[in-house]
Amino acid sequence: MTISKLLVANRGEIAARVLRTAKARGLATAVLSHVAEQEGPAHLIADEIVMIEGPTPVAAYLDIPQIVEAAKKIGADAVHPGYGFLSENAAFVAALEEAGVTFVGPTSETIDLMGDKVRARAFVEEHGFPVAPSAIEDDDPASFVERARAVGYPLLIKPSAGGGGKGMRVVREDSTLETEIATARREGQRYFGDGRLFVECYIERPRHIEVQVMGDGQGNVVHFWERECSIQRRFQKIIEETPSPALTPEQRDEICETAAGIARAVKYRGAGTVEFIYAQDGAFYFLEMNTRLQVEHPVTELVTGFDLVAEQLRIAAGEGLSATQANIPQTGHSIELRICAEDATADFRPSIGDLLLLDEPSGPGVRVDSGILDGGKVTTDFDPMLSKLIVHGRDRVEAIARARQAVQNYVVLGVTTNTGYLDAILAHPDFASGDVSTGFLAEQSETLTAPGEDISDLLMAAAALSDERLVSDVMQIPEMHRKMGGWRN
Amino acid sequence: MQRIFQIDGEETECWLGHDGSRFVLNTPNGTVACQLDPTGLPGGYTLRAKGVVRELRLAVGPEATFVHMNGRTYEVGRVDPAERLAGSDGGTSDDRLVAPMPGVVVSVAVKPGDTVEEGQPLLVIESMKLETTLTAPRDGVVAEMPFAEGDSFGLKDILAQLAPEEK
Repeated sequence: MTISKLLVANRGEIAARVLRTAKARGLATAVLSHVAEQEGPAHLIADEIVMIEGPTPVAAYLDIPQIVEAAKKIGADAVHPGYGFLSENAAFVAALEEAGVTFVGPTSETIDLMGDKVRARAFVEEHGFPVAPSAIEDDDPASFVERARAVGYPLLIKPSAGGGGKGMRVVREDSTLETEIATARREGQRYFGDGRLFVECYIERPRHIEVQVMGDGQGNVVHFWERECSIQRRFQKIIEETPSPALTPEQRDEICETAAGIARAVKYRGAGTVEFIYAQDGAFYFLEMNTRLQVEHPVTELVTGFDLVAEQLRIAAGEGLSATQANIPQTGHSIELRICAEDATADFRPSIGDLLLLDEPSGPGVRVDSGILDGGKVTTDFDPMLSKLIVHGRDRVEAIARARQAVQNYVVLGVTTNTGYLDAILAHPDFASGDVSTGFLAEQSETLTAPGEDISDLLMAAAALSDERLVSDVMQIPEMHRKMGGWRN
Repeated sequence: MQRIFQIDGEETECWLGHDGSRFVLNTPNGTVACQLDPTGLPGGYTLRAKGVVRELRLAVGPEATFVHMNGRTYEVGRVDPAERLAGSDGGTSDDRLVAPMPGVVVSVAVKPGDTVEEGQPLLVIESMKLETTLTAPRDGVVAEMPFAEGDSFGLKDILAQLAPEEK
């Protein structure tokens, strides 16, 4: 089948990123938008904007019948889901198939399998790949608590239907096990409509390493090397890089081949990511497979030179993989920083407001995938991630230096962002040496949010002199009194 | 002319004057002669103060001025002391729980008239997909619980109000 018109069923930076590649491949393009939404870069790129409705903007982006209808109405022959929203929704894929529209991604069966953590885990284990010791509630609900205890402490409770760290609880003591199970069940019920749980042995100071894979749906699978994503706050990644500083060449081949093997076992179609927990002793265990393009895919693009969205579109059009394993390089080093509207000094509280001034960095080895425009507004309707800053260097030291310079020159005024916090992470000696785990940000929170040099006098001078009313009031006072600086009435 | 500036939660009262040739900012730390000139970039200025010259980017919001300088972004809250006096409402901050971010009420543990102790859970909220238990800021009596289970609330909405402390 050929694809001539693509609807991007997403928004923000990822919609813009997908649209750019689709346009470069000569496709007609369209993107969804909700009336409450700010104009973004995607609106400037798409040939067509399709308005969707819903009680909230997020609800509109999750409305399967409406989006399938939109695709049919505008004559799109393919839909790219981006990440989040409906990207891993088997019912959406099935509905598109029924409507004769190509879904840019895996089959609904694969999504179903990998979306159920328990089934996915069992599948991986059956095929001889490593998984962490665990207890699954569904195997025998009556004995779940007993079996959880047998896994030992610390352990991690996860919702079977979960993802993205939601509803996950670490339990270190037996006394809190049952209350934490109850909380996790409530959260699972609310986020995923499914209260089933499983527990897993909690690996101390683990790293999160994942592997980008791509398959043609016929059993041919290649990997595009790993990404290290251990820098996380609240189980959400904020800095990703490739290559991982933790792996030897042998370990790298082993983990990448394992990921490709898992994808081969499901005859994977399209772009996917196999996530692993990596222990300090070098052991690694399957965590989950994400059946979509990841937020952090650009670091892979910068070291391999491949456009992963172009690969996705090729596969969706039945053209197969463009690469063999031997010609996928891993050149230099790439780092991605997620620029978020949040206050790192106040428990990552999201920040909202008007974007009064936006000036994004550029230069050699610097890429910005942005979802915002100068003069826009940051609201609570969507995720606080505004954009991604991705850099490439010849080696890790150069990549860190470029990332620091670029993030320091990232000007976003009007909302609080995490740029200073990201820079503090990059400046940390443990980050420089690569000695980090997924607990790094929590362990170092005081160091990373420590106030810098006190420049409050300079800041107050700038704020005073740019305050037009204040300046004009001062200039209206008779000169003699103006000179009496400290005079008060 | 006075302004109160807020940086990282700390307030500083300042007085801006002009000595005929330049501006002078009087702060509790001393007097700072200062000058701010546009550079041509959007929001771009050169600041001269305290013997240093700094290029910066700046945007003036309704309540705060945002300054990007030395590779960092700072928020400087501005308060006109005259307006603050006029707007004073008598309630104190430890009487109420203010929503740190928008969200939904998961459950409510107390009702108006209940006597509570400091640290006692008052309600559970969910914001940014995380549950948080909000507790009483001090011993007291619950005056108002404006939201019920399942209600949505906005940033800075009052989620619980204690009766004023008897002196």
